[in-house]
Parts: sequence; structure tokens; C-alpha cells
Amino acid sequence: MIQIEHLHKTYRTGFTMKPKKALKDVTLHVEPGEVYGFIGPNGAGKSTTIKVLTGLLNFDSGKVLVNGISPRDVKSRRFLGYTPEQPYFYDYLTGRELLRFYGRLVGLEGKELESRIHWALELLHADKDWIDRRLRSYSKGMMQRVGIAQAILGKPKLVILDEPMSGLDPMGRRDVREAIQQLNRDGVTIFYSSHLLSDVESISHKVAMIVDGRIVREGTVDEITESCGVEYHVRTRQAILGENLPQGVSLTGHPQEFVCSDDAARDRLLSYCLSNGVSVERMDHKRPSLEDILTEEIARADV
Amino acid sequence: MQMFKHIGVIALNTFRESIRDKILYNIGLLAVALALFSIVLGEWSVFDRSYVIKSTTLSVMSISGLLISIFVGISLVQKEIKGRTVLTLLSKPISRASFILGKYVGLLSVVAVHLALLTCIFYAILLLTGSNPTASLITAIYLIFCEMAVVIAVALLFSSFSSTVLSALFTLGVYLAGHLSNELLEQVRFAARMGEMDATSSAIFEKAAVVIHAVFPGLYRFNVTTYVVHGVALPDMYVFWNSIYALGYVGVFLAIASWWFSRRDFL
Repeated sequence: MIQIEHLHKTYRTGFTMKPKKALKDVTLHVEPGEVYGFIGPNGAGKSTTIKVLTGLLNFDSGKVLVNGISPRDVKSRRFLGYTPEQPYFYDYLTGRELLRFYGRLVGLEGKELESRIHWALELLHADKDWIDRRLRSYSKGMMQRVGIAQAILGKPKLVILDEPMSGLDPMGRRDVREAIQQLNRDGVTIFYSSHLLSDVESISHKVAMIVDGRIVREGTVDEITESCGVEYHVRTRQAILGENLPQGVSLTGHPQEFVCSDDAARDRLLSYCLSNGVSVERMDHKRPSLEDILTEEIARADV
Repeated sequence: MQMFKHIGVIALNTFRESIRDKILYNIGLLAVALALFSIVLGEWSVFDRSYVIKSTTLSVMSISGLLISIFVGISLVQKEIKGRTVLTLLSKPISRASFILGKYVGLLSVVAVHLALLTCIFYAILLLTGSNPTASLITAIYLIFCEMAVVIAVALLFSSFSSTVLSALFTLGVYLAGHLSNELLEQVRFAARMGEMDATSSAIFEKAAVVIHAVFPGLYRFNVTTYVVHGVALPDMYVFWNSIYALGYVGVFLAIASWWFSRRDFL
């Protein structure tokens, strides 16, 4: 559905046209039917990648295909829906007029147009009175819903959303999350960027992490978090002296609580407990969250 | 076929946007006020009242059309870029040429409606003052429309790559050059004939004037007020050839604007 290989993009800014590399050898693939989360800090290259995919930005080199077609070709956008970050629309139109305008641009007419508008508004819980008010009176949440509604009007196979949940209240985030999941159940591929990593973890099949213009991690949430190792926290009923602790096991500061750095250390500690009559009260495993990994990657890039 | 549909949808939206723009009403009201003021001018003037009303009203139509073409024209594309509405619009399956053409057709329709309304007021004034409202005045108004068609294309061309202020200045520059290029060429040749310059300077000035005359659209061709007001017939096929002339320039300017716009990055 999306194929990006060795993508490079340089901006030239200021009077001297000083080059700034925004994307450095970005490669990622999104398969049909996936919900694909794209995460990274501000200025990492998320929006740049998305704008290359939607044909809004040219690129220096690499290969980019959307629905099998280069984004430089208008046809690549026939089955593509896109909502930019903080969408802005013609504020002299009402929400419904705006959707009619965009609907006509994707080839919808008459009853089909009206029924698609109705469907999109229902999906986003936006079929309310305010949809017939001028857009200049809309809140951020209303604007975001209209923004997503215009993206999905034309029965797209691929929907690209740039920060669809930013600035929304918890209800709004839930509605957008549910809309993404419903669209995906209907067979639509979703590619979206987000700062809200808990949402990304909960709905994405796959995730790519971009830092300083480079993809630093890609895979399922489990693959990414597992690749960073799992820690085990063990609490025993009896204390174990520090010098008796097996290799890879450390004290947390409490004489009955221990941290095992990996699976082998956990097994060694359990063997020690069994053979020395120490009862295990509880054991938890702790994986690093996407946030932990992203923070670590940002720190690494800054060094 | 799909392209024409896209152009139509964007043109309709541009029309809707423009008619909700305050600047349009300000220019329109000013034009109506000045057209009505032409009645007073006709009474005060030592010239024939009919002549004063006709020439003043045609000038008002031309200048108000120019103001709309420049001030609304240059803001059309810039507004989309600065307001970031262009991001959503160009992510639809429409070409950037369709976008430019849609904007062009939309504003041209606004100018057409503006001129049509002023024409009605113009004819009402002529009828009320018994100033011989001839059908030939329509020819002059049509040529003002052709001139505005070129000016809007120029405004869109500049606004596709430069800021609002620069676009306004450039478009105004082209307008002035287009009206003065013929006179400039004649003056340079006259000065050369009269021996007011040495041979080298004369050749350089004449070449520069020829280049300006050739490159800038000859907008003076569309000003036939003097002919029409005095009831002098225009040369055969004058309107036809100048329509083709306008169409040619519009085609070239819009092609360059589309090409330039399609190379742009939208951040």
C-alpha cells in the first residue's frame, strides 16, 4: 500500500538557501489492511514523510509508491484520504458545505454524496447541529472531526492522518480511535502519526519510529519493546544477602525485592530460591514502553 | 473530462469565496458611486454630457475591474497557501493545473458579474439622462473584460511564486507597461527621427522599447473608449483578433503559473 525506499529530502531555508536534511534514507513498507503508527519527536520528519506521500512535497531521491503509483502522479491520490495536522478549512463555509465541496472533488454527486457525508459524520459522531454552522465558529475537536470526515468521503483504500488526536479531549480521542478501528475493519489501511504513544500502542498493528530524519525502529509494538529486553521484578518472603545473589540479579534497595536483567537471570534466581527454601511472593515483568524507547532514541541521537 | 469537473468545483468555490470578500463590495460600491457621480460631472463639464458620462463610466468599469483583478487575484493563491487549505485540496486527485485554472475561472466569473452589474447601472444612467445608449458600448465593455482576463492571469502567475505585496507590485507593473509600451515605442522612434539622440543610444533605446512592446501584453489594445464614445467604427475584425490576442496571453501566463505551481513544495 505504501512503499518508501531510501527516501531523502532536503529543505533549503533562509536567504542563503542553507540545506537542511529532513529525511535521511527512510525506508518503510505499509501492507494493505494495517493500522500503521508513525511516531517521533517534533521536527523528526513525520509530517515531511506524510507530505511526500500525499504529493505535497517533492523529494531528492529514493523510491516512493502509494497504491503502487508515484505520489507525483495525480492517480496515486484517487484512493487516498488525508488530514493534515491542525487542519484549516475555508471558514466562510459550513461543515456540510465543506464536505460537499471535497466530495465533488473526489467524484461524488447527488444522493451518493449526501449518503457518504451522512455516513462519515455518523462514524465520527459529528452528525450534530453544529455541522451546519460556519467553520469559523468550530472548536478544535469539531474541526478535527470534519477534517477526518473529508478524508474518508471518497471511499479511500488508504487514509493518512497527521496527528489526528492532538488537541482532542478524551472523548474526542476515543471517537477518533474508534473511527480508525472501524475503518480498518472495513478494509481501509491507516497510516498515521501521533505524539500520543498510549493510543499508538493500543491500536497500531505496526509502528515506525523516526528520529532526526531516520527510521530507528520498525515492527509491531511487541517486536519493538521485546527487542529492548524485559526486566523481571521478584519479591520474596525472605531476604537474600547481596553476596549470594546470582549473576544478573540486583537488589532494588529493599532486601526482599530483586530485579532480574533478563530471562536467564530470572531462572537463576528462581533456582536459587527453590534450592535454598526461599518463597517467591510475586513476580512481574516490565517491558519498556514505546515512550521509554523513544526517549532513549532521542537521547542517543542528541549525543 | 474529470479535469473540467475539478476546475468547475474549484471555480465555484472561488466565486463563493470572492463574493463573500469585503474588498469586492468596497470596490463595487465605489464603482457604483463614481458611475452615479458621472451624471454630476456631465452637468458641470464644458464637454458634451453624453461624452462625459460614457467615458467616465467606462473608465470606472476598467479601474474597478483592475482593482478586483489585482487585489482579489493575488490573494487567491496566497490565501490558500498561508491558510494551509491548499494541503487538503491538493491531496485530492486534482492536478495543480486544475487548481490554477479553477481559481482563474472563479475570479473571471466574479469580474464578469461585476462588469455585468455595472453595465446595467451604466445603461440605466444613459437612459435616465437621455445620453444615447448605443449597443457599441458593449464592445468597449467586452474589451475591458478581455483586458481583465489578461490581468487576472498575470496576478495568478505572480502569486504562484511570490508574496502578496510583490505580486501586487509586479501585476501593477505589467499593467502599466502593457498600457504604455506602444506609446514608449512611438516616443523612442520619434525622438530618433528628430535626431534628439545619437545613433548608438537611439538603437539601444529602440531595441529596449521593441522588447518591452513584444514581451508585455499590449493592454492599450483593449481601450477603445475614444472610438466608442465618439461613434467611430473600429477596424474590421478588431474585436475578434484582440480576443484571440488576449486568449493567447492568458494561455501562456496560466501555463507558466501551472508549471511553476506544480514544482512548489507545500510545508
